[in-house]
Amino acid sequence: MAIGVLALVGTRKGLFMLRGDDARRTWQAEDPLLNGWGVFHATVDARDGTVYAAANHLVYGPTVQRSSDGGKTWERSKKIGLPAWSGLTVNAAWHIEPGLPQEPETLYLGADPGVLFRSDDRGKTWEPNLGLLEHCTRDRWSPGAGGLCCHSIQVDPGDRQRMYVGITAAGAFRTEDGGQTWMPVNKNVAADFLPDPYPEVGQCVHKLLLHPARPERLWQQNHFGVYRSDNCGDSWERLDGNGLPTSFGYPIMIDPKDPDRAFVIPEEGPEYHYSPDGQLAVYRTRDAGRTWEEISDGLPRPSWAAVLREASAFDADSLYFGTQSGSFFALADGTWVEAARNLPPILSVEVTQWFT
Amino acid sequence: MVHVIVPNMLAAQAGGRQRFDVAAETVGDALRALPVADLLFNERGELNRFLNVYVDGTDTRERGGPACPLTGAREIRIVAMVAGG
Repeated sequence: MAIGVLALVGTRKGLFMLRGDDARRTWQAEDPLLNGWGVFHATVDARDGTVYAAANHLVYGPTVQRSSDGGKTWERSKKIGLPAWSGLTVNAAWHIEPGLPQEPETLYLGADPGVLFRSDDRGKTWEPNLGLLEHCTRDRWSPGAGGLCCHSIQVDPGDRQRMYVGITAAGAFRTEDGGQTWMPVNKNVAADFLPDPYPEVGQCVHKLLLHPARPERLWQQNHFGVYRSDNCGDSWERLDGNGLPTSFGYPIMIDPKDPDRAFVIPEEGPEYHYSPDGQLAVYRTRDAGRTWEEISDGLPRPSWAAVLREASAFDADSLYFGTQSGSFFALADGTWVEAARNLPPILSVEVTQWFT
Repeated sequence: MVHVIVPNMLAAQAGGRQRFDVAAETVGDALRALPVADLLFNERGELNRFLNVYVDGTDTRERGGPACPLTGAREIRIVAMVAGG
């Protein structure tokens, strides 16, 4: 029986598990797990309850860690790596995405430098996706300050052959054949830092999500704007303005019950990664991006917060995000609750139901 | 046999064990015999850049790095580089 929400809050110095009641008002933090590791992303695989963490360390390198007992003990995946002929090495593990229910052994891992791995043994070993590794446009991908991180992995729930990845400073890509080939899907998405502001690739996707109830609809927070696609990424419509204070930000969230709703957390701009005018807020659209409204009741003001691309989460009932200043917020009946504060800088947030 | 001492974070990755006795002819062989070897070497088999390895108090960089022979050695100590501010 579900009795509340379990938030996995990855920080620069470990993974914190926070347990919230069903109303999302009362939270308890447990001592950190994976102490000292930068947890770029952690998630619970709903298919079997295993916890996976993309954990990185300046000295010890990138790892994938997994726990089958709720975080009490951890096991490392076999070392992740790229073939020597590629001339590339893995710089960081970024995002772990469990596969569909009908492929229970399969998970995906996004990593820097713009690479995707697949595991078919529940995360024990990982194989690089060669279609993306050898992509014919790779020489046009230019890493930014965050590197070439593959941070968004979305599998079409109705067609496991169709997947999407979002890679910073490379763009969005779609496969229709289970990952053998990848097509850039960046039409109408701006890349104002390049000589051609609408190139085939090179766009700086900050986060990309597919709506599970309407899988042809994608949402994207980009370096230059918020976008929606209603045709599997074949073309995108820019949605900022109409209530959004800026077009810049990192995370994006959706409402799994309503494909027309999405949520972003604007920041001042590419040169100033904090809340515009000290006004930390989540902005919501209820009409597919035509208009946006602020949800800020309960948030500290003024507040110059920065929220990273992996540091937000959603479920059917609420929204969650964490800041680089170590605060974790949950939306409880329209008001934000600061569920934890003074954590190390928050890198990632995921939520799942908490069962007894 | 040579006695190997690893830092706390590596011990946590080895089930809490901080000290190991291994039989090896070189530093590299000794490190590769540890259960945390994957955290010491990169995917090309090179020792991670920010690791210091001492044999009986001497930095192995002065003695050939991982190829440093262990003849007569008693202790290997692994230290993660310290930085901050």
